[in-house]
Amino acid sequence: MVKANDNSATKLDTELRRGVVVLAVLSQLRTAQYGYSLRQALAERGMPIEEGTLYPLMRRLEEQGLLASEWRIADGPPRRYYKLSPKGSRVYAELTENWHTLVKTMNKLLD
Amino acid sequence: MDAQVVIDSYINSVASRLPRRLRNDVGVELRTLLTEQLATAAAAAGRSPDEKLATDVVRKFGRPEEVAARYSPLGFQIIEPEHAPVFVKLSAACVAIQWALTLPAVFVSRMTFSQWWMSWGFGAFAWVGALVVWFGLVTWGRRRSLVDPESLAPRWWHFLLWLPLPADWRPVDREALKRIERRTELGAFPLGVAVTIFLIAPAWFLGLLTPAGTNTSWALYDEHFRRTLLPVLIVLMVVRLALCATAAMNAGLRARLEMIRYGLWVCFVGLLFWTVFGWHIFAIPAVDAGFKAWLLIYLLVNTIQIILWTYRALTQVRVPPTVA
Repeated sequence: MVKANDNSATKLDTELRRGVVVLAVLSQLRTAQYGYSLRQALAERGMPIEEGTLYPLMRRLEEQGLLASEWRIADGPPRRYYKLSPKGSRVYAELTENWHTLVKTMNKLLD
Repeated sequence: MDAQVVIDSYINSVASRLPRRLRNDVGVELRTLLTEQLATAAAAAGRSPDEKLATDVVRKFGRPEEVAARYSPLGFQIIEPEHAPVFVKLSAACVAIQWALTLPAVFVSRMTFSQWWMSWGFGAFAWVGALVVWFGLVTWGRRRSLVDPESLAPRWWHFLLWLPLPADWRPVDREALKRIERRTELGAFPLGVAVTIFLIAPAWFLGLLTPAGTNTSWALYDEHFRRTLLPVLIVLMVVRLALCATAAMNAGLRARLEMIRYGLWVCFVGLLFWTVFGWHIFAIPAVDAGFKAWLLIYLLVNTIQIILWTYRALTQVRVPPTVA
């Protein structure tokens, strides 16, 4: 029974995190990053995301027009850098506002 | 094996599952990222990249088919999840009805079980296939937005494509429906009595109603049917009529008798189906076939009524008296 509860809590926690992954990724792409550097930036700020989840997500966000990407060759192998597109910036601003409202509401509910 | 060979093999495995337009671009990007990850893992382990480290890195990344699916969903749904319960119920009902209608033939030795199974029995699963095609077309139609789900016209599209009817929902007065049913039942009561009496001996009654000397022997029952099944059917009809009259006269008993009457109705219809498919009712084959054709129409109407009645009974919320 306890194990079942633990599983439920883990699943719910994963669901909760899944909801904010997109916003977290967008937040770090105000400056251009490539997949590996973005993963490290997120992990350093307490939001580790599996590579197998993060890299495809960046592609999907690009397909939705929220990110723009380009290949860059600097000191190393060619890397694909992603950055917020103009549409992505608008969506990011909107989501950020919604997020702040949501946090205030949730704080009121949880207090 | 060289570590880079492991990475490349993995990349090819993922890329082969991707749509062509993404294949190379994603492959090259993944190769760079995984190679970099491998270098980090090797640095953390304090050794050069090797096969084991590379295998660990790609395994941690995910199975190729899962990773490919994350880039671009490869599969598609033939039946929408919200339609799945209706699909399962319809499939089960179609198979069950075909079996119920045809299996009695085995019990009256008109065909062997294997003959039945190779024809009607196994053939019933064709319904499932037909429904898959129907629901598949519905899903396809909805994905392609052939019909706007919010539109109201033409209305039959909504039923054909399982589209919701949100805007024009209207309350259904179930009590009013029951009142109509009761009135119809009372109206048909005298007819039921007349038919029951007539069916006891149709040839004899026809002799009374027609001019003397008219040949009514064509209305004689098959002897085996008359001696064995007819009395059972007549008793059932009389009991049903008696219960109908009791329920009409005593409102207090109506609710308590409802389930008994429903059970008898189902038994009666089931028995009639068996009679149609497994017995000779009239002695003359042509009369028998003609009567059975009319009986089948009656049975079809009753089967639909039973299904609707059962659906209503199963889906009705029963409010406890204390709450009401």
